[in-house]
Amino acid sequence: MMQLSRTALVLLSAITALVFAALYGPLLIPIISSFFNVAHGEVQWDSPSLSAYQALAHNQGILTAVRNTLIVGFTATFLALIIGTVLALHYCGGKSLARDVMHFTVFLPFLMPPIITGLSLLIFFRETGVPRSMLTVITGHTLFVLALAYRTIVMRLQSLGPSLIEASTDLGATPLQTFRHIVLPNLASTFIGAGVLSFALSFDETMITLLVTGTDNTLPIRLWAMMRLGFAPDINALAAIVLGLTVLLCLIAVRQLLPARAEQAE
Amino acid sequence: MLFIGVSRKSFWPRLMASVSYGLPLLFIVLPLVSFLGYSFFRLENGNVSYTPSPINYVRFFADAIFIPVLWQTCLLCLAVSALTILFGYPVAFLLASLKDRRRHILLLLVLVPLLMSYIIKIYAIRSILGGNGLLNRFLVWTGLIDQPLTLFVFNLNAVLLSLTLLLIPFAILPIFLSLERIPTNLIDASTDLGASGLQTFMRIILPLSLPGIMSAATFVFVLAIGDFLTPQMVGGQSGFTFGRIIYSQFGTAFNWPFGAALSTILGIVVIAVIMLGNRLERSHT
Repeated sequence: MMQLSRTALVLLSAITALVFAALYGPLLIPIISSFFNVAHGEVQWDSPSLSAYQALAHNQGILTAVRNTLIVGFTATFLALIIGTVLALHYCGGKSLARDVMHFTVFLPFLMPPIITGLSLLIFFRETGVPRSMLTVITGHTLFVLALAYRTIVMRLQSLGPSLIEASTDLGATPLQTFRHIVLPNLASTFIGAGVLSFALSFDETMITLLVTGTDNTLPIRLWAMMRLGFAPDINALAAIVLGLTVLLCLIAVRQLLPARAEQAE
Repeated sequence: MLFIGVSRKSFWPRLMASVSYGLPLLFIVLPLVSFLGYSFFRLENGNVSYTPSPINYVRFFADAIFIPVLWQTCLLCLAVSALTILFGYPVAFLLASLKDRRRHILLLLVLVPLLMSYIIKIYAIRSILGGNGLLNRFLVWTGLIDQPLTLFVFNLNAVLLSLTLLLIPFAILPIFLSLERIPTNLIDASTDLGASGLQTFMRIILPLSLPGIMSAATFVFVLAIGDFLTPQMVGGQSGFTFGRIIYSQFGTAFNWPFGAALSTILGIVVIAVIMLGNRLERSHT
């Protein structure tokens, strides 16, 4: 874009620095305080310790919540990719009003405020007599991440174009053979991208989960319950670990993505 | 696509079609219909009575609490949109003017907070708020103020500040995308014709980035109005928002039909805002 004058550059950099300080500053507080003792709800800055992490390791509730989150995340991602592929193949198989309606409906759980998605499911489960459990949480998460996985797969199929599949059919392949040897290999990278994104979304999903969860709580719900009680050392330790892992994953993702992007730019 | 020359009546196309229409119908349309239906039911002696009546909507308009809270929440979310754009625009502008490596790094710094746990971010922001929070202590320590400010105790201001911090990346990204789409030759032409940097910005760049600003505003508004976690966590006693009232119908108040009616109204507001945003966006392109 345009060349910036010196004053403009300094001014913009100052505002940007302020914004990033506001974005990242608060996150440092639980991380730093996780390395100190807490007494009477106050951080004791003069006594560093790892007691918060010890408390975390003994907090059975949190460990169960982590396990539940992983189960829900992997199941929802897996289901969303399979269902997303079936739906995307059907959508790309022709043009009709029904297909367009389906295309829009699948995206709704992502478009609507999560409170509406959550409440609809809550009321639906109650009326059909399904008790709230991990199964209802998985259903909610699957619908939520399916919206995104489905759209990504549709975009990939559309950019793939019909010629490859036509060629395969002309050469005598059955639809199943075409799917296995042509469609699936071309979707592999999309599956990885959509899968990672779906898992990340599911890992963090709070508002829908809060409404449809039973007793098998996921990590954000467990955190939510703990946070309402106030400032606890093991929350800090957990926050520090989760934030650290997020940054690590981002760095890995960037290292994987950057060379590819640099090549594209050339 | 996959089934060229295969009869639509054979097994696989049929199975795929029934899954494609059946699953969304069962898990998206039916829940939405039962949700809408619920909003016309009523609570009698703690049980849902299934005789349809508009009583919940009548209550919404007749009771003096709900419309002011909805209005106040809309104003709050508008303020959040304005603040995120005010602070997000300069960041997006700097981002668009940087090149290669620096741009990638800055863009990454904008994206990383989006991937971080929402609930942990609220928790972190909460720890700096409050009369005895770190923000107040810091300001007292620097000598800027002598008494802790009441500005950041748990109230609507705290909700405003928290939502702004949480949603600012959502404002930066659409603005950055619209800035990036501006053809360089337009800016070159403006400079060649003798316009100053400020003139070029006011007459060329700002008008051309308006669609991005509009979609940022819509995006942030919709996300802010649907959020009930943040107000619940940092709103305290006075920071009541519409989302919180809805959530309380499913907790303490335990009036599901009324909660469904309030959510339907929230949904109508959201749809209206999205349509308005789309219209404004189109009128500026």
